Amino acid sequence: MIEFLAGLVDADMLRTTLVVATPLLLAALGELLLERVGLLNLAIEGMVAVGAAVGFAVVFLGGKSPGMVILAIVVAGLSGVAIGAIYGAMSLNLQANQITVGLALLIFGLGASSLLYRGVVGVTTTPPSIGTLPVWRIPVLSDIPYLGRILFQHDPFVYLGLLTVVPVWWVLYRTPLGLRVRATGESPKAVDSLGLPLMSLRWSALAAGSALIGIAGAFFPLSLVGGYSDGIASGRGWLALMLVIFGRWRPWTIAAGALLFAWVEALQFQFGVTTKVIPPQFLRMLPYVLAIVVLVRVYGKAQAPASLTKSYDREARF
Amino acid sequence: MTDTQLTEPPTGPLNIQDSSQRARRGRGLVETAVIYGIGILVALLINGLLLMAIGANPLTAYGTILSSSLGSLSGVAQTLNRMTPLLLGATGVAFAMRAGYVNLGTDGQIYAGAIAATGVAFALDGAPALVLVPIVLVAGIVGGALLASIAAWLRATRGINELFVTVMLNFVALFLAEYLATGPWTDPVAGEAITVPIPAAAELPSLGPGHVGILIAIPIALLVSRWLLRTKGGFEFRAAGSNALAARFGGVGLVRVGIVALVVAGALGGLAGSIEVAGVHSRLLTGLTPNFGYMAVLIAVLARRRPMATIPVAFGFAVLIVGADSLQRSVQLPASAVLLFQAVVVLAVLAFETPKGRRLIGRIMGGGQ
Repeated sequence: MIEFLAGLVDADMLRTTLVVATPLLLAALGELLLERVGLLNLAIEGMVAVGAAVGFAVVFLGGKSPGMVILAIVVAGLSGVAIGAIYGAMSLNLQANQITVGLALLIFGLGASSLLYRGVVGVTTTPPSIGTLPVWRIPVLSDIPYLGRILFQHDPFVYLGLLTVVPVWWVLYRTPLGLRVRATGESPKAVDSLGLPLMSLRWSALAAGSALIGIAGAFFPLSLVGGYSDGIASGRGWLALMLVIFGRWRPWTIAAGALLFAWVEALQFQFGVTTKVIPPQFLRMLPYVLAIVVLVRVYGKAQAPASLTKSYDREARF
Repeated sequence: MTDTQLTEPPTGPLNIQDSSQRARRGRGLVETAVIYGIGILVALLINGLLLMAIGANPLTAYGTILSSSLGSLSGVAQTLNRMTPLLLGATGVAFAMRAGYVNLGTDGQIYAGAIAATGVAFALDGAPALVLVPIVLVAGIVGGALLASIAAWLRATRGINELFVTVMLNFVALFLAEYLATGPWTDPVAGEAITVPIPAAAELPSLGPGHVGILIAIPIALLVSRWLLRTKGGFEFRAAGSNALAARFGGVGLVRVGIVALVVAGALGGLAGSIEVAGVHSRLLTGLTPNFGYMAVLIAVLARRRPMATIPVAFGFAVLIVGADSLQRSVQLPASAVLLFQAVVVLAVLAFETPKGRRLIGRIMGGGQ
């Protein structure tokens, strides 16, 4: 029993938590930016898959030099933007239904990532590995007992990914631009009436958010798995969507949620191997069950941006 | 809180012009044909470019798709086998959509149905086929309905959007199936997530090289369509879907409609799962119907939420799936590339269905009225 409780706060376990939290947080922050301008994007899982395939492809073809890794992350972000652009053209410009467009792009992303991987790698019996990024031990800090292991022995992607919450929060809550972005999600009509560039605001948030989601995808081959396989995101894109609700559309609470979900996910690494009492499938089920429980607790109290999923037609009469 | 949420249209944005469509049906039919024709044409072009990009000849590839799925009796049978779960799932999704609910949980409901069907088949080992087959199918229906009822219950009591709950339940059902297929029911010889076969008496009768599932699925789609269009309950359903507030003032029980919509959708998904087990695999395994749930939503959208129209659309999707399987063997195209193809068709049609797209079509058709 003591052993079990110690396992819950084990240094390696908490370290894994931070690693697993990174893609969740990146994707959720990306989705937050979209939802803050009134766009509900159901394609996260597909966009993450494309980001993963693209990130893998760049490093697989170009080698694992630091420059190539940065390029892989940038291109993965751009692939997210590309899908986001289709989403924007359909939902913002043509005013097609956001939910159906999102689902079509979800399927699109799942197919495109698989096709891209096959195009780059060809048919192989053993899937090629690019290995994960090397760990950067922060000098001095990484030697702190316990905390050093948890916080300061990660690869650069983890540090940068987790710190993304700071600029996202700062822009959304501490700049005039952020105020306008948030206002766009609440009332596009008001923003439009003030003569603010409504479409530019929505498109900028869409581009930035889609880039974050694409980058979240690159995390899987580069930092978590070291390779690519279909279904690599295994539902984490959907969990990111839940996190935005869980975090009540605020960056810091989303970050807290990402840590909580990542911790639950890390349980399977901790106990899936050591104990045979709980079948691993039930541990893997946990985050999704938790998401439903969280929905029950949070839903209704949470305030979604008022214009979420509603398309805005400036010529419409009220 | 809950109450006010229920009075709002559950998923307003999905209510794409319903009454206005009827008014201009004559012109609408031609317009629809043009929209879908152009949509498919655009998709063929885009996908042709993609095929060329990976070094395949698009015309040969398209030829292979058609000949493998429709060119032989076994091909047709395979297509109908694939069409069965797609049609059942899409009928369920379209049914719920008509009342304004989004069921993204077909994948999970298929697993739930498959789990229930397999469990019942194991439990009743030794029963004659005449008894066992119907019981297995009913078990699937119950399994799918039970899973969906979680989402229905949370929607009815807490106003939680069913879209999120149904997606989460997909993973719950998937991992439950994986657990059963690797644990209690596993086939120790197979060495992967697959159960021992169900008793032969539980297997669905065959129809030529295929199984009789399609003879269950098509009548159900027609029945659901008829119910929606010709009964009082169906009228209430459509009223709730097109204007929930007005329907409520007209005396429609929105909570009841929501529960029926989701539970029936789940039941149809569950039936699809039991048919997969009893008709195709004779056992429970993971990867039963990969992404069919999301495809079911796309089919329902393309069919404009009409259960009757899901029949041809599901057939088209099945042709693509079977065709892509053979492309995988001939030009090494990954089977999941079919997802890309389907998504492009849907996106193209959706684009032309928007007001701006329609205006463009109108100009092409000459009138521009």
